[in-house]
Amino acid sequence: MKLYHFIFLFFVLVSCKKTNQNLIKITAKTTELDSSIVANEAFEKVISPYKEKLSSEMNAVLCYAPRNFVKNDGNLQSSLGNLMADLCYEIANPMFKEKTNATIDFAMFNSGGLRAPITKGNVITENAFKLMPFDNEFVVVELSGDKMEELISYFIRNKKAHPLSKNTSFLIKENDYDLKINGKKFDKNKTYKVLTSDYLQSGGDRMNFFKNPLQLTKLNYKVRDAVIDYFKKVDTLKTTIDKRIIVE
Amino acid sequence: MERRKFIKQLGGASTLALVGGLTLPAFSPKKQRHITILHTNDTHSQIEPFKPTHHRNANKGGVAKRATLIEQIRKENANTLLLDAGDIFQGTPYFNYFGGELEFKLMSMLKYDVATLGNHDFDNSIEGFQKQLPNANFDFVSANYDFKNTVLDTLVKPYKIIVKDGIKIGIFGLGIELEGLVGKKLYKETKYLDPVEITKDITDELKNKQNCDLIICLSHLGYYYKRNPKKISDLNLAKATENIDLIIGGHTHTFLPKPTIVKNKQGKNMLVNQVGAYGINLGRVDFYFDEIEGASAKGTTILV
Repeated sequence: MKLYHFIFLFFVLVSCKKTNQNLIKITAKTTELDSSIVANEAFEKVISPYKEKLSSEMNAVLCYAPRNFVKNDGNLQSSLGNLMADLCYEIANPMFKEKTNATIDFAMFNSGGLRAPITKGNVITENAFKLMPFDNEFVVVELSGDKMEELISYFIRNKKAHPLSKNTSFLIKENDYDLKINGKKFDKNKTYKVLTSDYLQSGGDRMNFFKNPLQLTKLNYKVRDAVIDYFKKVDTLKTTIDKRIIVE
Repeated sequence: MERRKFIKQLGGASTLALVGGLTLPAFSPKKQRHITILHTNDTHSQIEPFKPTHHRNANKGGVAKRATLIEQIRKENANTLLLDAGDIFQGTPYFNYFGGELEFKLMSMLKYDVATLGNHDFDNSIEGFQKQLPNANFDFVSANYDFKNTVLDTLVKPYKIIVKDGIKIGIFGLGIELEGLVGKKLYKETKYLDPVEITKDITDELKNKQNCDLIICLSHLGYYYKRNPKKISDLNLAKATENIDLIIGGHTHTFLPKPTIVKNKQGKNMLVNQVGAYGINLGRVDFYFDEIEGASAKGTTILV
């Protein structure tokens, strides 16, 4: 009897193993969540306390934008990029001065880091968060002449409007360039102190010239906080496209 | 007695039907099974719908709306999985103020099954991610991030196997190279391993050792890089490997109106899908299975 049971069990196991799942058909459909879909109330209830806490913070009016600031309205520069680089310099330079007794030569960031435009009208805290959602912090790097040349050739080769502060006057020609920093011609034998973010300093956007600088100073201050400080400080945003970069 | 008489009385006319009835077990239709895969990618802390004034996505998206849609689909088919391909964090102040707490809580309420990590999920550092994990009642998978010397060691597994209605589904994760994209002080000792090599090992494990019926890759590698075509991407991974049925992608915020059919290394068709970003779209792929005897699998009809 026992043997009979065993044989039966064996047979069952074998026949089970023989059954396979055969994939016969695949279909696909992507649905857009437009306004025709009603929100689930249970979810809205969970979101609501978070939302209220945020909205009081986010809707505070900080200053006024007389026009749109975008990142694609210039040739290797932009109104948004210029605003960003200049305000960062303005906020960070006194901090650096206090810490090291030296002055920052110029600021450089990346175009990809400008995450949202500032549209005409009241500028609210939320604008600062959208422009700079990341928690990157300021760093100042002291660069050798060689590293500066890498920076220059990166800027020319990359053909993107990476924000540079108004300390620079950069003429880019077909096969040549002329760079003045704070009115003085770029000197390969000098070193330069450049304000950027910890993200870019550690090789973000392949800005490898920021890696291993002669000196690295961390300001332990968030770029977004600087944006908010500046917006609070000024009444109206005035930065424009200017002659900091000229492409011939 | 009565019953036997009745059959006899029916006589010859019913013979054919009776024969058919008797042979029925041999032809008995095998159970058909239906698995629905729902997916998102790059939701980027977009908790609320976009504002009515938004230049491109006015009123679109929103987690509470996603909940309604997912609930409807689950009612249609209980055998539904909900997956995400990373970059859950970063993009709205919800992340900056609450660190991803609400994102994970809501995904848990939506009953996500599995997700993988995107580069932005490291934005509050690997510790910041780990701190929010208790809010996530779903699993994170990543096969090519070696978390051995980090706080995520043992918390993130290479793959997860889920059995739904007798169908064995293997889901593994792939992440993008972090160097140059994320600060080292954020990802710390996380090691990036070659996605193609890892995929070969993992799919061999899932297909041949674990006998999965369906293999899904949650990838944050990006769909394809036109300006850098050799860079590893979902399309390149699909062509270079075998055994994956579906790659659910992210990172490049690519909106595919329908999945791309790709021939894998064996010349077999498989799918790559990605549904843009910010939770504006919900992706859906349905798999239908027949039970068959033996290994003589027939072809698959792909209607996309």
